[in-house]
Amino acid sequence: MPYSLTTWNEFKNYQSTCYRNYLYASEGLRCMGSTWSVLAPLKGLGEDVHIIGGEPHAASTAGTFPEESREDISAAERAGLGFHSCSYLKLFVGEVVRDKIAIPDGTIKEGYPKPDLIWTTHLCSQHSKWYQEVSRRMGGIPMYAIDMIGGGNAEKDPKIVKYVCDQIEEGIRWLERVTGREYSDELFIKAARNEIKVLVLWGNICALNRHAPAPLDERRLIALFPPAMVDRTTDQTVRIYEALFKEVKHMVETGQSVAPDQRYRIVYFGIAHTYGHPEMARILRDAGAEIVASVYTFGTAGNFRGIVNGKWSWDPLDPAWVDELDLSTRRNAITELAKIVLGWPTWQGVRSYWALEQMARAMITEYKADGLLLAPSRSCETDFRNGYVGMQRIFKSEIPTIEYDSDQVDVRKMDLPGAQRKTELFVRLMEAHKKRVHDK
Amino acid sequence: MMNKGSDTIIERFRSITENTHEYAKSLQGKGQLLAGYMCTHVPEEILYAAGIIPVRILSSHVLQAMTRSYMHETYCSFSHDCAYQGLQHNYDYLDLIVTSSSCIHMGEAFNVWVRFAGFQQKSFLIPYPHIIETKPARGFMVESFGEFKQFIEKFVKKSITDDDIEGAIKVYNHTRKLLKRLWEFLRRDNPPITGPEVATATLASQVMDKQECNQMLEQLIQRLEAEPGKAPSGVRLMVTGGACDDLGIFGLIEHLNYSASLVFIDSCTAARYFWFEVPEDRSDKLEAIAEGYIGRIPCPAKDNVPGTGEKKRFRFIQQFIEDFKPDGVVFLYQRFCSPQPMDVVALKPILDKLGIPSTELELDTTVPITQFGTQLEALVEIITRVVPYE
Repeated sequence: MPYSLTTWNEFKNYQSTCYRNYLYASEGLRCMGSTWSVLAPLKGLGEDVHIIGGEPHAASTAGTFPEESREDISAAERAGLGFHSCSYLKLFVGEVVRDKIAIPDGTIKEGYPKPDLIWTTHLCSQHSKWYQEVSRRMGGIPMYAIDMIGGGNAEKDPKIVKYVCDQIEEGIRWLERVTGREYSDELFIKAARNEIKVLVLWGNICALNRHAPAPLDERRLIALFPPAMVDRTTDQTVRIYEALFKEVKHMVETGQSVAPDQRYRIVYFGIAHTYGHPEMARILRDAGAEIVASVYTFGTAGNFRGIVNGKWSWDPLDPAWVDELDLSTRRNAITELAKIVLGWPTWQGVRSYWALEQMARAMITEYKADGLLLAPSRSCETDFRNGYVGMQRIFKSEIPTIEYDSDQVDVRKMDLPGAQRKTELFVRLMEAHKKRVHDK
Repeated sequence: MMNKGSDTIIERFRSITENTHEYAKSLQGKGQLLAGYMCTHVPEEILYAAGIIPVRILSSHVLQAMTRSYMHETYCSFSHDCAYQGLQHNYDYLDLIVTSSSCIHMGEAFNVWVRFAGFQQKSFLIPYPHIIETKPARGFMVESFGEFKQFIEKFVKKSITDDDIEGAIKVYNHTRKLLKRLWEFLRRDNPPITGPEVATATLASQVMDKQECNQMLEQLIQRLEAEPGKAPSGVRLMVTGGACDDLGIFGLIEHLNYSASLVFIDSCTAARYFWFEVPEDRSDKLEAIAEGYIGRIPCPAKDNVPGTGEKKRFRFIQQFIEDFKPDGVVFLYQRFCSPQPMDVVALKPILDKLGIPSTELELDTTVPITQFGTQLEALVEIITRVVPYE
């Protein structure tokens, strides 16, 4: 019997409330930008800061309003954005072009609420361009982008950590200047501890999927991490992730899962497209195949031990460690935040082929995978597209491995029949592989 | 007809661009160490100070499919072609391969060389800021360059002194000054040299020993100054965009059915390569190099002024428009390039305000001459208000 998560509604409500606050707040500050940024520095500006983050918003909009999303992408292309550009970016800019915004609770609001500032990050060659374009279209919104020069074990390189910290410190001074507000280190430090705690808690929740049956499937994983992406700095986020952690631990103890038929365990590298393409998910589900681990859902807003003694580990960090962190000064809090964000597996794989391969190897072993599914996103240059092609060469002789193209929110770029055929083949390969291992 | 003196030198530059391996191997035959580099953000001065000649990895424009099983097809053709060079072992003679963290596409071409083409033990990736205008960038670059210098010292088994670096800075600055003078001929109504010829010399300089290059450039400039200008050649076109080492496209601009001339190229294979200088005689050489490289025309992948989100490259482009007076602009970039099209969408309204028509050409491994020719001729027709077939 599939398990129903009791904390599900609380997650959905939290996410919707964050978006509604951004849409309808009559006072306070509206802040826009990539949620791959450190968010806590914004909270030093006061308790009335409302955030809208590009990636989770685009993903949620695509999931909730497929027709609107297609219109948004078309509008962005008509406004001059390239066909090959990031589809998250185009969906987001398309809303600005159309001057309307849709949020996951079903609301479509006419009149895009103008942000007071943009606080973002340079993740790939398109990411800071994304917000430069939004800023330009909205008449020049003040904008500060941080160069998170990630890759490999960057969080352990003092030169990189210092570089990122110096930018954040400079950024806080900019926030003060541009808003005219007095900055509260107390609020910032509180938000920083919450942010780190949520990221560590999510890592712990994901790590429970090493059990058989894995308590969560890809569909739940993709739905449960966006709240952490939207705004992970509040007391409420910590509370709901603690509650989820407790619930998933209980599921493991009692052998329960949201998808109990798990004959084949899959490790997945790619932006979660099966959620937007139920046809793909159905092939896997019908065969009793579940994605139990993916670098995108685990590592976009989650932290793990990472590189330890030269080897990758998906072991989680102890949440109690966060409570003991010395965040007594602004610089200390900035440093811990920079290290935790640079330590996201997604950052580490973007510019480091060796980290990506180590991550995959460790994930396959630790999550006892029967197959490796690689689905590079055609318009996302951060989605390790190249790494995937290389990985297929490396892993195909070790474990059933397939690779097909997808796209995060642009359905036009998915070769659905081709991908379906490959997925069916993938299931057969896993079946044969399992039989061979069993016969031995 | 007897060749002018300048033609001989231009032919020599052209020959080097067409036979880069032959040229590089001839240097190696004289005992020179050679380092390939994949991005112009590599501080060549440090290599040169160590007695290593930096050679830019260029593409071959040969249709091929083999890289598709190493790199995703949605990476630009320039990165695929550069990866192909490694996989084909065309550059196996290099002693070293170096790049700086720049766009993800070229980073992956570098990864292919390191993982699959046998360069794992002789490669170095220089961490380099992605937002060049951010205040802490300079300090970060100095540290990065310091690590790179240490690596090179270990590689050549000797220390690189401040005098070595200062010498290299001066040689490179001289190249930059000479290239700038060469391009400035194109500001004239009747320059003694064409845009494609200047582009050829500029591309050749990226694979050459700079001292030899400087001698050739000095001779060329001296002769050009003594030569009469050519007749004004129609519509003046400026190119702005990404890496393009296919000189055929620039020749095409000057061989349309209408009279047109190429007057400027803003790209990392042309002006962005050299349109800056490193401060000389500073006590901290690495800081001087960092300052120089920060002052470059920014690569679109690194251009985002903190606080405003301004694209600083646009200031340069507007200045070039003022100086070189183009009648039209050609956006020339690699298909699948991420940052370039995002700049085009913001740059077009600026050109519209200036009343300068533009067109977009997407580059792939080979140049579709007819298609590009038609687009370029249409641009000229817009500029000259000529109605074809009337």
